[in-house]
Amino acid sequence: MYELKGIDKKFGGVHALKHVDFHVKRGEIVGLVGENGAGKSTLMKVIYGAYQPDSGQILMDGKPVRFANPRQAMDQGIGMVFQEQSLIPNLSVMENIFLGNEKQFTRAGLFDWAKMAEAARHQLAKVRLDVDPRAPTSGLSFAQRQLVELAKVLTLEERIEGDLVILLDEPTSVLSEDEVKLLFKLVRELTNRASFIFVSHRMDEVMELSDRIYVMKDGAVVDVVARGQSTVEAIQHTMVGRSIDNEYYRETRQKPFDPKTRLVELDRVSLPGRIKDVSLTLHAGEVLCLVGTEGSGREAIMRTVFGMLSPLSGSVRLKGEPVQRPTPRHAVERGVGYVPRERKVEGIVAGMTIYENMTLSQMGRYATAGVLGTGAERRLARDWIKRMSIKAPSENADCGNLSGGNQQKVVLSKWRSGGSDIMLLDHPTRGLDIGAKQDVYTMVRDMSDDGVGIILAADTLEEAIGLSHTIIVLKDGAVQKTFDCTPGRKPTMYDLLHAML
Amino acid sequence: MTFQRLKSHLPWITLLVLVAVVGAVDPTFLRPVNLLGLAGDIVPLFIMALGLTFAIYIGGIDLSAQSMANMITVMASLYLSSLGLWVAPLCIAVGFLLGTVSGYFTTRQFVPSFISTLAVGGVCFSMAQWLSGNRALNMDATQRDALFGWMIGRTGIIPNELFIAVGLLAICLFIERRTTLGRALKAVGAGELAAAASGLNVGRFKILAFAISGALAAVAGLLFSVKLSGGAPTIANGFLLPAIVAVLVGGTPLTGGVGGVLNTAIGTLIVAVIRSSMLYFGIEATQQQMVFGLVLIVAIALTIDRSKLRLVK
Repeated sequence: MYELKGIDKKFGGVHALKHVDFHVKRGEIVGLVGENGAGKSTLMKVIYGAYQPDSGQILMDGKPVRFANPRQAMDQGIGMVFQEQSLIPNLSVMENIFLGNEKQFTRAGLFDWAKMAEAARHQLAKVRLDVDPRAPTSGLSFAQRQLVELAKVLTLEERIEGDLVILLDEPTSVLSEDEVKLLFKLVRELTNRASFIFVSHRMDEVMELSDRIYVMKDGAVVDVVARGQSTVEAIQHTMVGRSIDNEYYRETRQKPFDPKTRLVELDRVSLPGRIKDVSLTLHAGEVLCLVGTEGSGREAIMRTVFGMLSPLSGSVRLKGEPVQRPTPRHAVERGVGYVPRERKVEGIVAGMTIYENMTLSQMGRYATAGVLGTGAERRLARDWIKRMSIKAPSENADCGNLSGGNQQKVVLSKWRSGGSDIMLLDHPTRGLDIGAKQDVYTMVRDMSDDGVGIILAADTLEEAIGLSHTIIVLKDGAVQKTFDCTPGRKPTMYDLLHAML
Repeated sequence: MTFQRLKSHLPWITLLVLVAVVGAVDPTFLRPVNLLGLAGDIVPLFIMALGLTFAIYIGGIDLSAQSMANMITVMASLYLSSLGLWVAPLCIAVGFLLGTVSGYFTTRQFVPSFISTLAVGGVCFSMAQWLSGNRALNMDATQRDALFGWMIGRTGIIPNELFIAVGLLAICLFIERRTTLGRALKAVGAGELAAAASGLNVGRFKILAFAISGALAAVAGLLFSVKLSGGAPTIANGFLLPAIVAVLVGGTPLTGGVGGVLNTAIGTLIVAVIRSSMLYFGIEATQQQMVFGLVLIVAIALTIDRSKLRLVK
């Protein structure tokens, strides 16, 4: 009854959805799985009207439709239950439920609160939630809020004549086991009125709930599995499986690290809500990869090492010396370099030249009594432009105008030219094309040869496995498992996924 | 040439066009003595705008500059007789210190700069009223001439204020272009998060920017009181709007990171020409702030970098 035919969507050079065919039958629960970046979110956004496809058709009951915005999709009975909590905390439960649809409760611009509360109670009953509709949303637990989100979408039942399609984006990520059971029971009961599209990282849940499962990879649907026709393992293989060339990650250049030189030592470091009891050691020449889902603590660990976050308990040692009062300044002086994930925001300063960017972390070296020696700065920049083969008209070029790969090389040059030997690389290849990615991999090996220790958060699991000596799998901020990644004995993606989820 | 490339040249083109237009209406306007006199008259405002440039360059604002100058005119008039020449360093130190206070609350307590400087400005204004007993004060003319007379005379046809202005501009330009401080301020203005992720002590540099702004507002106040041979808590009122206009039409947008003190020099000259052209076109002094208010809004709309803003409230 809801169908997508040959949907394509491009963002600049990125082909996010490749000729996707997708349909949901009346009362069906459809699962949608794939790695990060496989195109799930884009597909969801096309379905609920936030994105318009570049080509292809959206059909409802066989008739082509077009949604200019989520509102129009909603008017056709398509509702989204958001993964990130989208309720407004300082409004009451009922105001949130009817946000944007308050008209039915107003007379001459004034609210009939009693009527709204009554209607809200009716909606809350649908999701078996017993809370006062007038209570402020901020007082609710995460699970309760998730149910309120569902109740909000279920108001479509009264507003729309026909069938409903409800999207659930990672609805179980904040729920306990019992709460998940309750949610699943509710969803099954509601299938007499609505179809569901269920997106989750938890494969067992998808298998349990869904009638059919769409498997996505690299922007395309690669498999559709009916209930009971496949196993968790088989689906995971389809999700991630692609041939990995050892040479791609320069694996032949992976040499053993020096276990005697400890560059970074974390001892039971905790930051409430971010990481708990994390201990790890980074050695000279080692690539240590942090693997985990979004919010598993990878970024928090890097920022702790860089001194941007101060741990509440536990100790951080840089090159054997305990860090007393962490600041980025201090970390930089000890030789730590940070390549942040948001390259354009935190990596480079757009509007400043290449040489200004390269010396930003080490201005002291190029200044006498606060006065900069621009000549020396330019020489350094010219030298590194050559060494890193950065494509730029000159050292005076505005960094904001360089391509992503060249910007990343400027960021790496900034730290390497200053002699940083502890490198924190947060998704260093994100958004780069294949050639630029390979340049980054080569640089990683070059740095290891120079005895640099690298903490890496990789963009994909293959990248993590291909590049690292050691992999630490994180879940909810805690170390789950540590893998040795000596060439020939590397763990498989399946091993990692198992520890992650 | 695209508009984006033209944009950086707009300030001086505007200046030339304005001078040409006013000169066409009244050719005496173009006489060197007149032009130099015009430039000399605007020097206190220029110095204030120079300081404001630092606050705006990092993406902040300093609304205390005018009240600061007011307070300094009062302090200078009060303490000239007892402190002599030492009144100058005292005034500048007070300005620097109060700028540091604004900067501290902005960077460490996350009070937006428009409100922290507005509050500090309120303190300054009240202090000026209290110190002066809310009346106009006069300097001892002979003492003023002996100590600070060099500031206001003429050398040939060139007003001495212009030497001060050029000297301060040179110092500020040197700070901006050649020092680690200037580079850090540029980085903070153009990409504060990247500056922080490069290990810069962003907070300290931001506080310094507000401190410099305060110190230069104090210099502006000092020069103004020497010029008028006295001080009063409202004597510099009407400076703030044109000073902000000078920075913005010069080409330093509220979002910071581009432009700089040289731009402010051109911007101030534009303000000077607008101001005197209003006399030629018969706009009364009481109506001038209306014009500056309009010019300010148009200048902001033209210069602001919308890609840097997510929400404006």
